[in-house]
Amino acid sequence: MQRSLSMGLTSLLPLKLPSRMETHLWYIRPDEVKCASLLKHYSQLLSPTEKDRVLQMRGDELKKNALLARTLVRTTIARYQTNSEVDPRSLMFKKNKYGKPEVDWQNYNNCNNPPLHFNISHTDSLIACGVTVHVPVGIDVENKERKIKHDVLAFAERFYSADEVKFLSTILDPEVQRKEFIKLWTLKEAYVKALGKGFSAAPFNTFTIQSKVGTEGCYNLCKTSEMTISSLEKTEKCYEEWRFALLELADSHYGAICTEDDQAGGGGPMRVIIRKTIPFVEDELISESKLL
Amino acid sequence: MASLSTTSLSFKAPSTRISQVLRKGSSFQSVAFGRFASSTSKTSLRLQISCAAKAETVQKVSDIVKEQLALTADTPLTAESKFTALGADSLDTVEIVMALEEKFNISVEESDAQNITTIQEAADLIEDLVQKKPAA
Repeated sequence: MQRSLSMGLTSLLPLKLPSRMETHLWYIRPDEVKCASLLKHYSQLLSPTEKDRVLQMRGDELKKNALLARTLVRTTIARYQTNSEVDPRSLMFKKNKYGKPEVDWQNYNNCNNPPLHFNISHTDSLIACGVTVHVPVGIDVENKERKIKHDVLAFAERFYSADEVKFLSTILDPEVQRKEFIKLWTLKEAYVKALGKGFSAAPFNTFTIQSKVGTEGCYNLCKTSEMTISSLEKTEKCYEEWRFALLELADSHYGAICTEDDQAGGGGPMRVIIRKTIPFVEDELISESKLL
Repeated sequence: MASLSTTSLSFKAPSTRISQVLRKGSSFQSVAFGRFASSTSKTSLRLQISCAAKAETVQKVSDIVKEQLALTADTPLTAESKFTALGADSLDTVEIVMALEEKFNISVEESDAQNITTIQEAADLIEDLVQKKPAA
């Protein structure tokens, strides 16, 4: 249901920064944004480079989604105002040395620039942006119904860790197996993106993500060390400093979030606050985050 | 999950392998392609073969990409087309690589798999790997 633009656009709702234990997750559904003048308004928020990149996408739907992705990033970050209002148009971005996008706060003279981290992910039917403070964040979303063209186990054997292949091969129902494969994919992607060092820094087959026994929705990251000492035994180290959450979004997508646990938050599970948005039109707090 | 330059997979770690392939140009086995029989000098015949091999590889890669991404027949596609511009996310890229491995009977290292961003880069990598295989 499209709210008519003749009612006027609302301004962005200002928000407090997430606490150390929290990730804020914002998402937009492209199929809910059809109004041409709204899209035009969004395009006015983008930098010339971003506009060029949107235009490079082949096909109208891809262009629209690219536009919405940049709009989501800019408007989301702009909401977290500290002292003064931030114009989403004025935000600048840079990349870390591995290519991970970050906010470039240099154009603000404000000394209290929020130590804000963000990461974005999209599918053709849902675009999400995760926000944290002080610690890096990686997110990945995937359509639950996404079909894998290859045999799932063959795919896993090629790219996942041995323990993950073992886990997947115990699942007899092919549909459940496919879903678990996708959940693992989102978790692994989220980790690599949180790490922010590119894929070569953490090839998928060098680490395992598994459910923490006896918990719901908590996952552990374990790395298999290639270094052997005397025997052929692989040493496995579990890393407490990376926290994961896996959610179901909009009944249609899996979303994985990975953040670094800098211990200052006091430990404990990640708290995720989810909001659905159509920037300048409406925001909806999703009160139940279904942890998987 | 499609990606933009700001998202997931586009943090390209420098790919020495691919840039090496692109820098050194292409070397080719001197296999005769019947349809390129030519009365010109050996050098230009080899050049013709090199272009033909590339075009053929590029076409095969394009077909695989079109299938994986379920592109419509009228989607404009060139060798320089970036996967991300066609709507590929990291899962798509990996599936494309697996399909290429099957098609060309090669093995692509994971770090290379994630660094392929265009059809041309994929074709170049394939040429490189096929060429390095021990003679059948």
